[in-house]
Amino acid sequence: MSGGAPFYEFGRFGEGTSLIIALLLGIAFGWFLEQGGMGNARKLSGQFYFTDLSVLKLMFSAILTAMLGLFWLSWAGLLDLSRVYVPETFIAPQLVGGLVFGVGFATGGLCPGTSCVAAATGRKDGLALIAGMLAGVFAFGEAFPAIGHFADSTARGAWTLPQALGLSYGTVVGITVAVALGAFAGAEWLERRAERPARPMNVVA
Amino acid sequence: MTTDARRRPGIERALAAVAIVGGVMAVIAGSPTRPTRGSVDVTELARIVEHEEDHVTAVELAAWIRDGKPRLHVLDIRADSEFDDFHIPGARRVPLAGIARMPLDSAATYVLYSEGGTHAAQGWFLLRARGVKNVFFLRGGLYEWLEQVMSPRVASTTPQAQRDSIRALALWFGGRMTVVDSASTTATPSVLDGELSAPHKPDAREAIRKIRRRAC
Repeated sequence: MSGGAPFYEFGRFGEGTSLIIALLLGIAFGWFLEQGGMGNARKLSGQFYFTDLSVLKLMFSAILTAMLGLFWLSWAGLLDLSRVYVPETFIAPQLVGGLVFGVGFATGGLCPGTSCVAAATGRKDGLALIAGMLAGVFAFGEAFPAIGHFADSTARGAWTLPQALGLSYGTVVGITVAVALGAFAGAEWLERRAERPARPMNVVA
Repeated sequence: MTTDARRRPGIERALAAVAIVGGVMAVIAGSPTRPTRGSVDVTELARIVEHEEDHVTAVELAAWIRDGKPRLHVLDIRADSEFDDFHIPGARRVPLAGIARMPLDSAATYVLYSEGGTHAAQGWFLLRARGVKNVFFLRGGLYEWLEQVMSPRVASTTPQAQRDSIRALALWFGGRMTVVDSASTTATPSVLDGELSAPHKPDAREAIRKIRRRAC
């Protein structure tokens, strides 16, 4: 176990190398998002009208791949799960933030990552969304003295599903796989139903 | 993408099958950490224990810490609250369960301690079983540390050079040496012969009170 993954945590490479790796991973991430059509606001919006659930399927594919990978790498002793960063939970502010995010996603048709992909291919809606996002981040920073108290409230720390549900990691993994596969089947069914009155799938520029 | 994927149902099915197998086996495995198995050379361990090469004295440990012995890890296996009250400078708190899992540096030196010696000795065994060669424990535990390093009592008949080195070590760790009448004590009081001398540091005193309350 000593000196396994996460490599950066165990000092296998330094800050510089980790930045280069991050750059390469970022390029690959953007490349594959665009390949999957995720830079297209119309395709992403289709999710909210149950006509195109690519985003849901892509997200669940990514979650299953990462989850099963982490679980079994840890099981094989190649990865120390306790050294993997878990973002902290703040229930109330994250509920509010999630609502704002959802409204923005459904309205603009892009999420932060995909708006960068859209902007990179020259889509104007992507550029507009990035400008709005930066303005929002700036506004949040300026307003923090007033809303900071709320933003820090209902903190639960690094709170994981096994802790919250009182189940073993393996059981949560199994449940997530079942939910994901159910979601895949449901998504395919919804898409087939939506396809009957054939919708044109134009690329928006 | 939808139509594209539908043209290759084989890949989708295969991936779904992999996910199902991975998920079902995860439920069976339960924990993502496998039980850590180690093995020991029983004869070798018996020899080490018999030759008393398995522990260090508090004074030896103090000298290692003071002299900055390279790659020395001092592990405190008591509870968090006890650790917060008082611990040996530079020590890291690791519960016994953590010793079974923690990443190890096989070239480092590990010293384990608890209140007394029992838990630390058990931790010593765990680390040996995990293949670390340089593991020691503080046989008299924190008792010994407080008595021999923080508040040592030396007889007035103890040679000056020895007294100076004991005093210097105590001072380095913020403790204090007391010279007692040679008639009332042995030159180097043993941890095991009872009364602990009162340390003047309030946190150390509190630590001792806690130690005394709980029979070790």
